[in-house]
Amino acid sequence: MEATEAAHGEHHTSLGVDNRMLLMWIFLASECLFFGSLISTYLIYKGESLVRPLPDDVFDIPLTSLSTFVLLVSSFTMVLAVYAAHHNFPKMMKLSLLSTILLGLVFLGFQVYEFRLFGSEGLNLSTNQFGASFFVLTGFHGVHVGVGVLYLGSMLIGSMRRNGLGPSGGLYMEIAGLYWHFVDIVWIVIFTVIYLIP
Amino acid sequence: MASDAHTKGSGSTLGPRQYIQITIGLAVVTVLELIASYAGLGTVTLVTVLIVMSALKFGVVVALFMHLRFESRVFTQMFMLGLILATAILIGLLALFWNDSTDALGGEELPPWEHHGH
Repeated sequence: MEATEAAHGEHHTSLGVDNRMLLMWIFLASECLFFGSLISTYLIYKGESLVRPLPDDVFDIPLTSLSTFVLLVSSFTMVLAVYAAHHNFPKMMKLSLLSTILLGLVFLGFQVYEFRLFGSEGLNLSTNQFGASFFVLTGFHGVHVGVGVLYLGSMLIGSMRRNGLGPSGGLYMEIAGLYWHFVDIVWIVIFTVIYLIP
Repeated sequence: MASDAHTKGSGSTLGPRQYIQITIGLAVVTVLELIASYAGLGTVTLVTVLIVMSALKFGVVVALFMHLRFESRVFTQMFMLGLILATAILIGLLALFWNDSTDALGGEELPPWEHHGH
């Protein structure tokens, strides 16, 4: 049993779970605190701005909804990549991973466009409380998407090697998927709290 | 054994067909959120409806896409600990700073803005 585990590069903890998975879940739990604090800050500053522009002046809900759908579809392609990695379908895994990366880049493109649009309307980090809390929150989320794109890009490159991602490839893809889905659920909360709630 | 499950598929019995159905469900809920935001509901009703739908989407992604439903309870406990602490931070900060005494300082100087909806 131990020899088999060593061959698969598995790492048990006394809790009976793989420590790499456990590490990612602990990291995601800490990220909840990080984004919880940023969302709290946005809500505290909501309605406190003394100068325009305000959210109603700049938000383009249909555009943001479109980018939300893009991120949602990227979660679907990510879960397909994890499924393919577990079931040893390398072509499907690479295609799904590439699709996820491209959708992540499209989402970032939407965010850059939105930031530039807001900038042209006179909203930046130092304009008012809304600008400061909005750009910090959505900016940090965008950074997480960017890091996710790089992470998945490294997985894609790794999967193109002769021996692929190795015997633990499914596990590594699952861990990468956890990160990507977390970025998606943070956006689910941001979209509702920031954009939809008046 | 838990690691065996991880390397072979996390114990999840879901396949591409189920994932497509889940994604369509999530998209439908998102459309319903949009409809609700334009439906002219009262603020309390709207906020309640939006939070419920958002929590539903959050739960579905965590349980089914992140496979938490099929994983060890240790992961669930770990993630829930983070979520509960984050919620406590949210409630604590809002209780401390929402409508605190500093809000009144700039209140008199607010210009007469004409609010227009999205």
